[in-house]
Amino acid sequence: MNALGLVLLPFAGAVAIWLLPRDNRTAARALGTLVALATLALTPAWATRAFSVRWLSRPFAAAFHFGATPLSYWLVLLLAVCSACAIFAANVPRARDFIAWMLVLEGSMLGLFLARDLLVFALFWDLMLLPVFFVLIGWGRHHGTAWRYLIYNFSGGLALLFATAAFGVLDGSTDVIGRGDVHLIGSWVPWIFAGFAFAFLVKTPVFPFHTWMPATYSDAPGPMVAVVSGVQSKAGLYGFIAITLAFLPDYLHQYAGLLVGLGALSILYGAFVALVQNDAKRIVAYSSLSHLGLIVVAIVAFQPLALAGAVLYMVAHGLFSAALFLALGFVEEREGTSLLSRLRGLGRDNPRLSGALCIGALAALGLPGLAGFAGEIAILIGVYQSGLVWVTAIALAGIVLASAYVLRMFQDVMNGPVSPDLPVRPDLTWREGLAIAPLAAALILLGVNPHAVLTASSAQSPPVATAAIEPPR
Amino acid sequence: MIENALPVAIGNYVGLSAVLFFIGLTGVLIRRNPLVMLMSIELMFNAANLLFLAFARAWVHNAGHIFAFLVITVAAAEAAIGLAIVVAVFRDAPFVDVDEVRLLKG
Amino acid sequence: MTPLHHATLGVDGTYPLLLGLWLLPLLGAVLCWTFGPQLKAAAGWLATGFLGCSFAATVLSWPAGTQLIGGAHGAHQALLSWLPGLDFGLLLDPLSLLWALVITGVGFLIHLYSIGYMHGDRAFARFFAYMNFFVFAMLTLVLSDNFIGLLVGWGLVGLASYFLIGFWFERPSAVAAARKAFVLNVVGDVGIMAAVFIIVAHVGSIGFGDVFAASPGFGTGVLFAICGLLFVGAAAKSAQIPLHTWLPDAMEGPTPVSALIHAATMVTAGVYLIARCAPLWSASPNAQLLVGSIGAATALAGALLGMVQWDIKRILAYSTMSQIGYMIMGVGVGAYDGGVAHFLTHAFFKAQLFLGSGLIIHALANEQDVRRMGGLRSKMPFAFVAMATGVVAICGVPGFSGYFSKDRVIYGTLEHGHPWLFGVAVVTAGITAYYMFRMLFVTFMGEYRGDVDHVHLPDWTMNLPVGILIVPTIGIGWLMFGGDASPWNRFFAGQFASGAPVTQPAISEGLTTWIVLAVVAAGIGIAYLRYGTATASADAPARLEREAASVPPVLANAFYFDAIIDALFVRTSQGLGRFLGQTADPLLVDGAVRETALSAGWLGALTRSFQTGLVRAYALVLVAGAACLIAYYALAPGAFR
Repeated sequence: MNALGLVLLPFAGAVAIWLLPRDNRTAARALGTLVALATLALTPAWATRAFSVRWLSRPFAAAFHFGATPLSYWLVLLLAVCSACAIFAANVPRARDFIAWMLVLEGSMLGLFLARDLLVFALFWDLMLLPVFFVLIGWGRHHGTAWRYLIYNFSGGLALLFATAAFGVLDGSTDVIGRGDVHLIGSWVPWIFAGFAFAFLVKTPVFPFHTWMPATYSDAPGPMVAVVSGVQSKAGLYGFIAITLAFLPDYLHQYAGLLVGLGALSILYGAFVALVQNDAKRIVAYSSLSHLGLIVVAIVAFQPLALAGAVLYMVAHGLFSAALFLALGFVEEREGTSLLSRLRGLGRDNPRLSGALCIGALAALGLPGLAGFAGEIAILIGVYQSGLVWVTAIALAGIVLASAYVLRMFQDVMNGPVSPDLPVRPDLTWREGLAIAPLAAALILLGVNPHAVLTASSAQSPPVATAAIEPPR
Repeated sequence: MIENALPVAIGNYVGLSAVLFFIGLTGVLIRRNPLVMLMSIELMFNAANLLFLAFARAWVHNAGHIFAFLVITVAAAEAAIGLAIVVAVFRDAPFVDVDEVRLLKG
Repeated sequence: MTPLHHATLGVDGTYPLLLGLWLLPLLGAVLCWTFGPQLKAAAGWLATGFLGCSFAATVLSWPAGTQLIGGAHGAHQALLSWLPGLDFGLLLDPLSLLWALVITGVGFLIHLYSIGYMHGDRAFARFFAYMNFFVFAMLTLVLSDNFIGLLVGWGLVGLASYFLIGFWFERPSAVAAARKAFVLNVVGDVGIMAAVFIIVAHVGSIGFGDVFAASPGFGTGVLFAICGLLFVGAAAKSAQIPLHTWLPDAMEGPTPVSALIHAATMVTAGVYLIARCAPLWSASPNAQLLVGSIGAATALAGALLGMVQWDIKRILAYSTMSQIGYMIMGVGVGAYDGGVAHFLTHAFFKAQLFLGSGLIIHALANEQDVRRMGGLRSKMPFAFVAMATGVVAICGVPGFSGYFSKDRVIYGTLEHGHPWLFGVAVVTAGITAYYMFRMLFVTFMGEYRGDVDHVHLPDWTMNLPVGILIVPTIGIGWLMFGGDASPWNRFFAGQFASGAPVTQPAISEGLTTWIVLAVVAAGIGIAYLRYGTATASADAPARLEREAASVPPVLANAFYFDAIIDALFVRTSQGLGRFLGQTADPLLVDGAVRETALSAGWLGALTRSFQTGLVRAYALVLVAGAACLIAYYALAPGAFR
């Protein structure tokens, strides 16, 4: 089998789950977890085996071409881990449909990351919005959130599609991802760059395109947000590296100042706003804005170590935001709220839940020894060397602010006297603990020895560290 | 032979057709009874048909005849659908007036 | 980044003992954490045992740590390549050996003490997991052979400190203190990070050896920037002005925590950092002046604030801050061996004082206010002896440990050409003597003023460590006796080559000693007259209340540091966050988006008005359109060509 099989596997799983009886939560969860774990297990074997079938010949060549590049390989692994954990943790009403949508999300994002053709990339870009939209409609609190999510990201997707079409017409082929010899010339190219950049900035998101995000993250159920925030937000950053940096480096250079400015603004903006939010999930949402802004800066710093750090931090952010949202999902399931003004003192009776949230929180605030720190250090060393001293200073201020808002979130939920208004719930169950443990383990492993982890699978694929260190030209 | 193919001068046909067309047009614009409006539309079709046939005869060319048949077919179809719509829309109405029906108001 | 030849400070090799002493506490922490509910009271013994083994391994590593082969001093163990070009390893040289000995040795005694002190706490195992984790983190800090490894340890001790300050997390004050300590320490971490960025940009490596080898090539500005940023970290961790405000609040943690982390070991990490980076500091006189001045200011401020405290642990906290000010002053001006010596003696006598205060607090059912103590000498003679030796040692009474180390620091300021720092140090020594003896007199002399009927005397696990600590509290200073021939100087031979005296002071060391002694004697005398005499203790309760009410506001508010930090940073950030989150985000940013979406609606509303639904109106428009078309073709010139 090959990469196409990997993409189709979750879709097949979703269909199978929809065939199950409506109210069989356990079977749906077991099958869903199994499919996600199978994706994870098969990734090393299948992801790098390319599959290609000709799709279009005119007006430009396009192909259903799938196969992992070194960068996407890591994102696929991240996606498989986060999906498996999130599905295993899912405890929402109408679990069968929810889990099927989760698998559709996984499949469409696998397609996105494995696509080697820009047109297929754009296709899966729009496809991955739908499961989130339907889950927001079916499980969210406000329909407006779902529409906001869809319209916002779809407008990005439209820009992406136009840019892709123009790209194809200019270059003659869209079967280009992972190739190093593509060079676009023509008066359209700035518009193509603008289209790509808009789509990626909205999806990441970066200030000022972020207003869909806090609503989405606070409205959707925890497991879904874990995947959306952990992995889907990396689609834009992946696009920046795999497409914009690879094919339009001159324009990325030309607009680097703007992107650095937006990234730096996102760092501070997200951090300051997170400082005063009342909803724990919104705090993590705004912290994502802050952290992802740093990655945008890292990408446009054009510095090998910063780029390696960007990849590392993408994976790290995926892991810790997934862990945080899963843990906050557990809190919300138990207490029916994620508002700091109502939560208090859960840690006394829920020490394991407290520990789970704590690991995610510590990674988010960049505790040395966990993955976030390694990424931050690599990025900032690179950014500093590229001469962006003021951005380094802003990022450092962001780290200080992160410690303040993350601790506020953790302490207001877990510490303090036990609140008599809140129902006493059982501590973390085995299932919930097992769902979060792989994320915690990966955070520690990646934090203690990032270099070895990044070069570990060099037999399967080129090590991402070295691949990312040489910016594709 | 060709110039004598038409016993009456072509201008008369055109004039009559114009009169018929504007009678029909006026009927569509000022009458509020849908049946009368449909009839007025028929009148406009027939004005066109008259022209087609007159010029077909004048220029000895069959395209005009063919078009006339086409127009008759379309007019029949239009009348069938139009009458069906009128019956459906005004089935429960006490009287028949197109200004009372504003289903397409935005 | 150009790869360099690798200049390590120690002799490369594999040192199982070094790995063992480093990792054993981590293992203990993981075991206590994982099996806490099963271990129950055994967790304390388990953690203490692991730490005892770690201490034994440290002692056995002495030969490796002090070996001198070629130019390499001590032992170097390579660990892993953390990121491309950034290698991690362990370095055990005399400096880190000294710290490791204190961390594991004093740590072992405090663990033993905690078994008794924490007895019956519902999170007993968790406490020991945190304590062992702290020791591991602190060992990571001092054993790292590079700046990022040090930074990792730096962050992890901050985390352990956070957990232990907030150990009783149901108390809001403990939670707030923990958060404050963590955030202020992250400010320090960030300072070190910034220094690391500059270092990597200029050296391409993070190893101490590489950096020190390359440091002569740094410009003055770069060197000052590196030292200044490193000092931000040192100031936060070691509670130097203006980042000191977390330390007094940190006393919310259990008393053994205050003894181990907030007195003996963690708060001296800044001293370690400066001593470790001696080659950098010695090359930057501006940094030396800055750090020496801040150290002196902290020493003085801590002593002044110590005079007006009533909580026994806060008195000790301010005295810790003040004594670390001495150490920072010492290592800051270049008297590295003096600053490090004061770290060693302070670790013993301050641990002694905290554990002694813990005996009292434990006995009096968590009473910490000295105004409700008094007359405890007869009730708790052992605690009195313990506290008295600690107080005498901290004041620098000749023969006790503090005398030797403080003398080195004070004379070191003169030897390195900072006479006015010398003045501050001498004055501070007098104030220290005053407020420490004040604490001793108020606590132990006179009549008992509290309301605890039965004094609950501690068991042997608490008394034994205090008893053991009395020995070094009195005697450890004699290691420093004898100038260059002393064991201390021989131990550190070659370590602080850059710390040689720069001037010959105008007054001799003997004279400075006499000056200091005179000032200290004056301080003790004033304290005795105010609190120690029989007449003073006669109307003690009323007089102490009166005194507490008449504290000058500037001292009562701790020089307004908290208020200034709160107003400048905390409230501004929150205000900005509130503005951005509640005004800018929904109204400006999202407003723009919503306006875009709504403009589509307006456009729809506009075109909607054309759709009247009147069939005849549509027909009229259609006719008009047709008429226009016909008119155009009829009138436009050449339209019918």
